[in-house]
Amino acid sequence: MAEKRRKNSFLFAEGGFDIPFLLIVLALLTIGLIMVFSSSYTYCYYNKGDSLHYLKRQLAFAVVGVIVMLLASRLNYKIFKVFAKPVLSVSFILLVVVLLVEPPAGYENFHRWLSVGPINLQPSEVAKFAIILFFAHHMSEHYRAINSDQLSNASFAQGFNQNPGGIKIYERHVCLALYIAILGATCFLVYLENHVSGTLLIAALGVMMLWLAGYDYKAFVIFGIIGIVLVLLVVTKPDILPEHAQPRISAWLNKDFDPRGARWQTNNALYAIGSGGIFGVGLGNSQQKQLYVSEPQNDFIFSILCEELGLIGAFAIIGLFIALVYRGFLIGIRSRDKFAALLAMGLSFQVGLQAALNICVVTDILPNTGISLPFFSYGGTALLMLLGEMGIVLAISRNAKIKKV
Amino acid sequence: MAKKAKQKFKNRALIALALTCILGFGVGGFGVFNAAVIHGEEYKYKAKSQQLSDITVMARRGSIYDSNMNVLAKSADAWTVFIDPSEIKNEETREIVAKGLSEILEVDYDSVYEKCGREKYSYIRIKRKVEYDKKTELEAFIKANKGLHRIIGFEDDVIRYYPYGNFASTVLGFTADDDVGRSGLEVHYNDVLTGTYGRYITAKNARQFLMSSDYDSYYAATQGASLGLTMDQVIQYYLDSALEQAVVDHGATYGYGIVMETKTGAILAMSTKPDFDANNPYKINNEKVLEEIDAIEDEDEKNAAIAAARYGQWRNRTITDSYEPGSVFKCITAAAALEENVVTTDEMFYCSGSYQVKDRMYHCFRREGHGREDFVTAMKNSCNPIFIEIAQRLGPKTFYKYFDAFGLTEPTGIDLPGESIPKANVTYYTANRFTAVSLASCSFGQSFQLSPIQVINAINAIANNGKLMQPYIVNAIYDETGNKILQTKPTIKRQVISEHTADQVTYLMEQVVKSGTARNGYVAGYRVAGKTGTSEKLPDKTYNISSFCGFAPADDPQITVLIVVDEPKSGAYTGGAVAAPVAAEVIQQTMQYLNVEPQYTEEELAKLDMKAPQLVGSTVAQATKDAKAIGYNVKVIGEGETVLNQTPVAKQVIPKNGIIVLYTDSKSETKKVKVPNLCGLSISDASRVARDAGINIKVSGCTRGTVVSYRQSIATDTEVAMGSIITVSFKTEVNVQD
Repeated sequence: MAEKRRKNSFLFAEGGFDIPFLLIVLALLTIGLIMVFSSSYTYCYYNKGDSLHYLKRQLAFAVVGVIVMLLASRLNYKIFKVFAKPVLSVSFILLVVVLLVEPPAGYENFHRWLSVGPINLQPSEVAKFAIILFFAHHMSEHYRAINSDQLSNASFAQGFNQNPGGIKIYERHVCLALYIAILGATCFLVYLENHVSGTLLIAALGVMMLWLAGYDYKAFVIFGIIGIVLVLLVVTKPDILPEHAQPRISAWLNKDFDPRGARWQTNNALYAIGSGGIFGVGLGNSQQKQLYVSEPQNDFIFSILCEELGLIGAFAIIGLFIALVYRGFLIGIRSRDKFAALLAMGLSFQVGLQAALNICVVTDILPNTGISLPFFSYGGTALLMLLGEMGIVLAISRNAKIKKV
Repeated sequence: MAKKAKQKFKNRALIALALTCILGFGVGGFGVFNAAVIHGEEYKYKAKSQQLSDITVMARRGSIYDSNMNVLAKSADAWTVFIDPSEIKNEETREIVAKGLSEILEVDYDSVYEKCGREKYSYIRIKRKVEYDKKTELEAFIKANKGLHRIIGFEDDVIRYYPYGNFASTVLGFTADDDVGRSGLEVHYNDVLTGTYGRYITAKNARQFLMSSDYDSYYAATQGASLGLTMDQVIQYYLDSALEQAVVDHGATYGYGIVMETKTGAILAMSTKPDFDANNPYKINNEKVLEEIDAIEDEDEKNAAIAAARYGQWRNRTITDSYEPGSVFKCITAAAALEENVVTTDEMFYCSGSYQVKDRMYHCFRREGHGREDFVTAMKNSCNPIFIEIAQRLGPKTFYKYFDAFGLTEPTGIDLPGESIPKANVTYYTANRFTAVSLASCSFGQSFQLSPIQVINAINAIANNGKLMQPYIVNAIYDETGNKILQTKPTIKRQVISEHTADQVTYLMEQVVKSGTARNGYVAGYRVAGKTGTSEKLPDKTYNISSFCGFAPADDPQITVLIVVDEPKSGAYTGGAVAAPVAAEVIQQTMQYLNVEPQYTEEELAKLDMKAPQLVGSTVAQATKDAKAIGYNVKVIGEGETVLNQTPVAKQVIPKNGIIVLYTDSKSETKKVKVPNLCGLSISDASRVARDAGINIKVSGCTRGTVVSYRQSIATDTEVAMGSIITVSFKTEVNVQD
């Protein structure tokens, strides 16, 4: 196949984008909107007085989000390199600011949101994007160094490196230190929000980026050991966690723990999935959304989906997520440069990772940590950001060597 | 190199993809499979069990009506109010809820406030049996305050009303909080009254609101049936008030009374005093008992005493308790003897004052003896030696035969719970266990125990031409739409004695009331037959039980009445002095209420009250002349020529020689006089005092022999219109032993 080099302007990209990826996104978005309505109308009826309350808001954000996505897909992805450092800085500023702002009533312990008008921004969402963007940019710049024994030419390292026979400081180690510092600082700040699941997700994303960047296996063995130690520590001594997270761990370990409190949501999610069986009770017919599953439109929306659409529907959705991740992976490996590859994979894997974690939480395989399901869970700002990110993947796809449909 | 690097990146990306898909979605997918299929049924079952609401549809408990379909007990819808404290998020709400609930439901603020603070609970009951108007008020309060609908809730409940409180409460009984009868008819006919609960199965949400659903199914409830009693509210009221007064007058422990329809055995009235308020059955009604309980310091003893007092006041003692009937039983002995022809009414006896049976000497209460007397006189005198004599003539076997035939060895089987069961050789003697001595005591009603219902039923057999009836209180049962589904038919148990013997005993008993020990049971115009009884209460014989059992009119008995006064402490203690006046009052009122035509003897006619003539409209002179012509005194007030008004008004019954006040001037006010004390006087003295005061008296009760007034219908010193009529009750004061 003859390569036709497309000419990009500095700002805009030329050529078609990956239609399958767009279709997958639109499919997930559409089903997500339907499920937001189906799962939330009872909750809204009793708590908001309008069954359509959440649907209207989510729909508005989805429309804006799709526009943003299409606009973003027109951009030349290279300009995002320019934003890598500013976005990271903004992310840190927001993470600090959110800790200083008084949380809304009823959520006194959770410094997770910044509210400006209709926008309820979660700085941790920004942080995820910032980490992916910055890592993708920096790793692509240093990809050769990371994957070779190039000595660092940083000023502090030169002393060592010029000393023959002494300890050598390689460029990849300097980079690793930088990544771990940035990742560690971000995770620490998110943890201070009392947002354990966000912390874990960001850590996992960071580690995945390090993996893609090509760091040595040994490093990941160490990460793995640290992870296992942390899990064991948390399981045996839950009191090292913030107070709100402790009962969630207890509820996960002991299935009879506080059935009307900490285990209520999980139990009712399981009852919903069980009620759905293989074929489901039919769209709109969930009984468990009748205030049994608390806030069914949020983190546990997948349980209502399982009840209404059954195992078959659930597997179809999982299939769509896998397709999305796979398509993102294809776009990534066929991209022309490492920045594009890392960014596309980072963004699509982020969606996949979050979706998988959410499903594990809903099915009680992981503790109830408060992680949302991309495209499904109610939350306009997060949806807007997500669609913007998908727009970036689409923008990258315009320059990838994949068959355009 | 570049290719190798590219391959490495691709591998890394592939591994990341694989890990995400396998570890992430693979495990997640397994989780879904596990919950949907492996544990699917279990979770589905748990989901259904919390989603489905299985509501019991209450069956309304049937009502209880008297013989004229007046409501004596009725159920109505009510509600239980509860709160969900876990929904109370702040102090302000807590105070609003506590204040609103305590004010509307009239419950203690502090207690509600405390309950509102139990945030771990989602259901705490505040009050049961909340009625409709309170519920409506509470709903308005909930609407007026935001968010309260999540905190305050209602549940269906039911409330049982007894319109007249303690009216016949020991007979009707009451229901407990679970709507199940606990005593009286409520427990005996519980199954009939209860009906069958229905079910309503439907879907509900987590806040227990029901939702329309394809699942719902409804099984209708069958409402409880209603009872129509033979009891007549009016006669019951006469009996209740007369007994209550007697208990107060004599400082008695209890008073029991039964009025039975002679020909059917139907219970017209049945009363135990003191009783309890069926609307508030746990409250101890007897103040004396309450004081005693308050004095107990030990908590356990106190609770035991409270429980005992409650069970005590719920008892229908006319059927649950037994006593020695005393001389009332002589009617049975006489009936047996006359039926067996061992005695005739005109046979002459001699009472020496004592009677020797084996080594035991029985004394007549009249130590000097009654001397020569015929059997009628012996009955009138209630002369023990004569009855010992005729019982000896009957012998134990025959005596027992009649004892048994009159139904005294078995419960009567009345349709009320807890009837005492006679026990052979414990509460009574069987034929082969009689000794000459025990037969002697039994002949005049001692050394065995009967329940009041047994006594009245036996005496009723005499009144009812010798036919022993099955007593009953439920006349009919009606379904929810008012259709009669069961009608009780009077049941004759057996012919105990011949009609002839019954007539003879009736004659004897009428003589007892006319001029014997039961003179206080006399009611002018109605030929009362009766017998008094006084028995010493075992073990220490300090107290007595005084009773009267009789029926009227003697020639065609309509009602049979038993009055028992337990432990009178007023000094008067004989059946004649204590129980007979009560019976007379009940008989007189009941006879009038039943429109039984009075038949006066000449002697009675002479004393008979008359209806005041119509004098309004006549001239003063004419009116005065007319009134005087029929024996009334006249008092004219005003200067006018014509009578404009009169007291008493025309057709009101006033005694002969009474006074009629005539008003001739429209301006003149009603002349008021003060009621004098009319108690403790003879009939003539009372009449004089009344005349002097310008009022009329109506004589009630026993008027023969030496009688004394003991009660007046309007209290001394009350201001009444001149010429008003005051009923004054008389009785003989003599404690004639029987």
